[in-house]
Formats: sequence, C-alpha cells, structure tokens
Amino acid sequence: MGLFDKLAAWLGLKKEVNVLCLGLDNSGKTTIINRLKPSNAQVQDIVPTIGFSIEKFKTSSLSFTVFDMSGQGRYRNLWEHYYKEGQAIIFVIDSADKLRMVVAKEELDTLLNHPDIKHRRIPILFFANKMDVRDALSSVKVSQLLCLENIKDKPWHICATDALKGEGLQEGVDWLQDQIKTMRT
Amino acid sequence: MSSVDSSTDGGRWLDAHYDPVAGLYTFSSCVDLADLSGDGESRLVVGDLGSGSSGMKLKVYRGTALMSESTLLDLPAGLVAFFMDLHEPRIPAVAVASGPCIYVYKNLRPYFKFTLPSLEVNTLEQDVWQQVREGQIDPLTLKEMLEGIRKKADVPLSVRSLRFLSLEPDDMDEFVQLHKQQPIRRQTVITCIGTLKKSTADEDGVSCLVIGTESSDVFILDPEAFIILSKMRLPAAPTMMDVTGQFDVEFRITVACRNGNIYILRRESDKPKYCIELSSHPVGLVRVGKNVTVGCTDESLQGFTQKGKRLWKTVLAAPITTMAAMDLPTRGFQAVLVGLANCEVQLYRDKNLLSTIKTPDVVTSICFGRYGREDGTLIMTTKGGGLMVKILKRTATFDDRDSAPGPPLAQSVRLNVPKKTKLYVDQTLRERENGLAMHRAFQMDLSRLRLAAAKAYVKALESSLTPMSSSLTEPLKMNAVVQGLGPSFKLTLNVQNTAACRPVMNLAISFLYDESLYRMRNSYLRIPLLVPGLIYPFETFVECTSDKGISDIIKVFILHEGKSCPLLTAHINMPVSEGLMLN
Ligand SMILES: Nc1nc2c(ncn2[C@@H]2O[C@H](COP(=O)(O)OP(=O)(O)OP(=O)(O)O)[C@@H](O)[C@H]2O)c(=O)[nH]1
Ligand SMILES: [Mg+2]
Repeated sequence: MGLFDKLAAWLGLKKEVNVLCLGLDNSGKTTIINRLKPSNAQVQDIVPTIGFSIEKFKTSSLSFTVFDMSGQGRYRNLWEHYYKEGQAIIFVIDSADKLRMVVAKEELDTLLNHPDIKHRRIPILFFANKMDVRDALSSVKVSQLLCLENIKDKPWHICATDALKGEGLQEGVDWLQDQIKTMRT
Repeated sequence: MSSVDSSTDGGRWLDAHYDPVAGLYTFSSCVDLADLSGDGESRLVVGDLGSGSSGMKLKVYRGTALMSESTLLDLPAGLVAFFMDLHEPRIPAVAVASGPCIYVYKNLRPYFKFTLPSLEVNTLEQDVWQQVREGQIDPLTLKEMLEGIRKKADVPLSVRSLRFLSLEPDDMDEFVQLHKQQPIRRQTVITCIGTLKKSTADEDGVSCLVIGTESSDVFILDPEAFIILSKMRLPAAPTMMDVTGQFDVEFRITVACRNGNIYILRRESDKPKYCIELSSHPVGLVRVGKNVTVGCTDESLQGFTQKGKRLWKTVLAAPITTMAAMDLPTRGFQAVLVGLANCEVQLYRDKNLLSTIKTPDVVTSICFGRYGREDGTLIMTTKGGGLMVKILKRTATFDDRDSAPGPPLAQSVRLNVPKKTKLYVDQTLRERENGLAMHRAFQMDLSRLRLAAAKAYVKALESSLTPMSSSLTEPLKMNAVVQGLGPSFKLTLNVQNTAACRPVMNLAISFLYDESLYRMRNSYLRIPLLVPGLIYPFETFVECTSDKGISDIIKVFILHEGKSCPLLTAHINMPVSEGLMLN
C-alpha cells in the first residue's frame, strides 16, 4: 500500500472504483450486491432488476460504485453503454442453469470482444453462483464451459458462491481489491 | 450480426443441449411448453409414444434434465397445456388425448378423465344381439344377419360385431358366449386436440379444449365442467388443427382432414365455412398471423388466406416430417419451421427460406417457445429418440430477402433511352395502321419460302442428289475428302453399305467436271462387292489445269450398272489450287 493510500485510509477517504455487475437474468447479481452492502442497508426482498440500478459498498481500502445491470434479454443491449466507465467487471453465472450456459458464454464473448473492453487490462471476477443448488455445476466446470482459460490479456478469477448465505463472496471481493490496487500503483 | 446465407443457420442458434439417447419418441402434436410450477421457468411436457405398443409416458423436462415421468395407459394422440380455472398461482393443467379419453393432469397429478360420448348404435344390430342373448339364433345365422346389416346400414356396426365377423367359425361360439351379455357400444377416438381461449385473449386466460374425432366431429369442451359446449361436423376425419380466437367472441378452427381437404369452421355455423382442396395430402398445418401454411406429401409448402385462397406455393428438397410455428412476439417475428426427411430443419417466412438447420438425425417433432427463462428456444426430438435444444441468439436477425427466382435487380434500373425520332414515330404509326397487311405479307413470304424449300428437297430426293441413298436394295452412304494444296489433289471417297446384312454389287463411280479446269486420271471407277457396315475408301487423283486461281465443283455419282439414274450424288467443292500460284 502506497503512502497516499495509507493516508487516505487513515483519513477515511477511499478511492472510488466503478464496477459493472453483469450476467444473465436470475443469476443472482442483485442478491450478491445486496449481500456486499453494509447489513443496515440490505433489502429483504429482491425483484428482477429493470434497466439497471446503482449501488455502493466499501471494502477496507476501496469504495465501490456498482452498476447492477438487468440481465433480461431486452435490457442486455444497455450493458455496452457502461463499458467505458467500468474499471472492473463482476460476471455472475447461475451454475444451476446448465441449459443457458451457452447463452452466458455468448454474452461473455460479446463483452470480451467489445472495442471498449477488448484492449483493456480490466479485471474480471466470475461468481459461479447458486452452488448450494443440488446438481449445480462446480466452478471448475463453469470455467471450462465458458472457456475462461482463453482469457489471456486480462486478470480473472472465479469463485463458487452462495449468495443467499453469502458464502464465497468475500474471497472474490478481496481478489478484486488486490487487482485494482496493483493496477493503480 | 447480419445473416449470412439461407442454406445454413448462419450462426444464429446456440447449441444448448443435445442428448441423442434421450429415449423420446414423439410428434409435434404431443409436445408443449408451459410454466408448470408458476416460478417463471417453462417446462417441456412430452407425450412419449414409447415403442408404439408399450412404454407410453408423460414426461416433463426442466432445463437439461428429466424432472418427472408417469405412465400413460394408451398412445397419446395429442397434448396441450391450458389454463382450466382462475386459481392463483396461475399454473396450467396438461391435457393428454388418447383413445376416446382426455386425461387432465394438474400439478402433474391425474386430476380428471373425460370420455367422449358413445356413438349411436345400429338398432337392427342391437335387435340381432338381443335375439342371440335370448338364444333364438345360432352364431352362423348371426353372422349372416350381421353381414346383411353391414352391407346396407347407414349406421356402421360396432367394433364387437366387426370382430365377430372376422372370426373363424370355430371361435364364434366362444366369442358369443363371452360378449353376448354386455350391451353394444360404439366408441370413437380422438385424432387431434387444441385449445381455444374462452372469453379473453390474455396469455393466461381460461381455455376450452377443442377435439377432433375419428367420427368426423369437432367438439369444444368447457374447461371447468367438461361439458360439450359446441359440436361441429366435418366431411371427413380430422388429422390436424389450428384454433384461434375466443369461444365467446369469434373463433376460427382450421382443420386438415383425411380426405386431403382443409376446412375452416367459424363460430356461427356447425358446418365448414370454407374448404381448401389440396392436390396432395396435408402433413403439417401452421397458422402465421391470419394465414395458414400447409405442408403436403408432394414435398410442397403452400400458403392460404383465412378464406382458403392460395397465396403461394414452394417446392421443398425432401419430404416433410413435421412442422411448427416460430413465434417471437417480443421481436414481432413469425415464421414456420419445417422438419425434412433429409436431416434439415428449414425456416420459412411465407415462401422465402430464411435459414436451414442441419440436424444429426431426422427430426420428428418441433416446438418453439419459452423454455426455462429463454424466449427463443427451439426444441426438437429425433427419429432415434434424441432431444435437441437450441437457443436463438439475442443478436440474430433474419433477412426478408425474396429467395424465389424473379426479375434480377438490374431490371429495375432505368436505362438511358434516347429520344424518339420522327422516323421512329412515323414507322410506328405505319406499323400500327398496316399491321394486318404486314402480317399477311410476311405469312405469304414465309409460306413461299417453305414451299421452295420443300420443292428443292423433293427434287434432290428424286434425282438422288444427296450423298445418302435410302433405296431399299442399295442403301448407301458416302463422304468425300480432298487432300493436297494443288495443282494435284487426292480425292478419297468413303463408301459404306448401310444395309443390315445384304451386300451390294455391280456399282460404279463416275465423275463429272469441267474439263477445261481439271484433269482426272480415270473418271470412272468400278466398285467391288460392298460388305454391309464396312467403309471402303476409293482414291483418285485430280489435276488442276488452270492457273487463274479459280475452283469449281466436281460431281460424284454412284451408279448401278445398266441404269442411267444415279443412286446418289455428291458435290465436292474443290479448293483453289495454291501450288500453281506459287510457281
Ligand atoms: N439457491 C440460490 N438462489 C439464489 C442465489 N443467488 C440468488 N438466488 C435467487 O435467484 C433469484 C434471482 O436473483 P436476482 O439477484 O434477482 O438475480 P439478478 O441476476 O439480479 O436478475 P436480473 O436483475 O433479472 O438480471 C432470486 O430468487 C434469488 O433469491 C444462490 O446463491 N442460491
Ligand atoms: Mg437484478
């Protein structure tokens, strides 16, 4: 941690980071973001997102502004308008939805090939969510199906998560925080 | 992404799932998609025909996995999911038609069984069996009487009597003893099933069941009480149908029948309103908007208006195995999916082929709609029992290009035509005024030309001026070759006897030429016996005596000894003697 960061942390000033939260509808994006917010700001019932919503949460040294995008087919063309602003991407996958794994892969490939993303070393955090569901795919299987090993020019990481219990989320966010800090210094 | 080529699927579909050994044997009429749990995720409901005699099952798939299966008692003829009441949560019921019954499942548990009313029984037949019961007649007399009834009755015999008539005399007694006490019944079976919204067009509105039967009837059933609301008669047994509209307002039932016709039933009448007579039997019927697309056994696809007027026809590459509608209301897209026997599924919008999906096996059922959470899902089952799921890409588009051969684009480009001149206008006027006379003059000249040609031909034949002789006794053929630059030429005549087996004798060749121009060593050759089929070359030498660079014709005659009329004649156009000019 650089001197400035230490000072900023001490002062309670944190660096602002814009994160895009993407993934198919019903994958659990809103549930995950909700879990990461301070417990007094969490909401009880989560409904499908319309368009997108902006959420904020903090880690030990960073202040995240999350664009929680709707994953419904008719809103997915909104995603690309926020690619420029995003400094990191959280991509959520429903590990129990085997049928739509191809759709998730298709959207991921489109994202990775977008001119606003293609040549940037932007970190991507994958959440293989709903691992609590019986016969959900493992995170290894998910990364295989999405061909994550082909992503060579961007740092990426995949975690199996259960957003309902909050399991696996912290590991992912810690990785993201490290990535953003190494990028800056 | 723009579409690539209608002969491929152009990468428009994502392969979500393929299980070649799913063990699903079914047809499009027995497949439906419905949100059976009310959780926003559609399930695939299939009436599996099993082996055709056993293993009939009602199967439900969720995503890639089989979620439940229950045994069906009889072969399913059709399956539909429909809302039968207004209860919350809105969960549809499943109706399976098999034999004379409809089995209704709610929450995947058997809920109700509806049986078609039995048909009128022939009273004579009834009397005869009554007499049998009372012991008044023996089986042989029964057989005689039943046969008599069968011949002239307008009400057909019951299945029991027909079975009896097919028995050997030895088995008759036993059969009669076994069945005589039971009353006679005549039962029909369901051939097709559909749904019709009761009073609202809402997606989750309550629907009536519409069933077609082997007895050529169409029934509309009330969804709650399961009573027959309406009965309509057709001229033949229905095989497929499409239903649209609302029962209480206005509806239209389009039915393909076994007599090769399609009938259109409307609310106000119990008889067909329109009839489409097809040239071959229909195998698929899909409504697109207000029109219907019909697939026929003659490998054609035809479009009709709702009044039965034919709009178009297109020819397919292979026989049709199944057809289904592809309806994507969110994108306002409607088309028809056609499964072909050559392992292809083609997508048509009207007569235009939009794309072709190659499949590893022949597809026997197609269903397009919302499956799981994906609106554009294509589900197909194959002949070998496979299950295939494809998802339409979000970015996929289909070109509405008219693929039918028509005028090329360049035809509509305006040409830079020069202004009309005075001469042109005068000529046009003249042609317009004297059109009749000009035509007559032309016809007259044409006739003269034909007459002159015919005369010349006859003359040539009569004087044997041709190098072919078709006379029965001496059928001959000859051709001539001239070699050399001059002044000496070598003349080779190839003579052939074209008769099948008869040789020709006593022939000679004679030449006629301008003696001031040519000199010939011998202008008369004798021809030996000509064996049929062989080609005989005869050579002679010609010397050109002129140095003026002119040439002439040498005539060759083949003659029969003792006759002055030649058998055939050839004219040889001699080349100009170049050798002499060089000197
Ligand atoms: N079993 C299980 N259910 C989950 C998990 N995460 C989310 N869900 C459920 O999945 C459903 C969808 O969650 P959302 O957070 O609304 O999904 P989303 O990705 O935001 O969906 P859109 O806003 O439509 O794009 C909700 O019913 C959640 O309760 C998980 O880890 N396990
Ligand atoms: Mg959401």
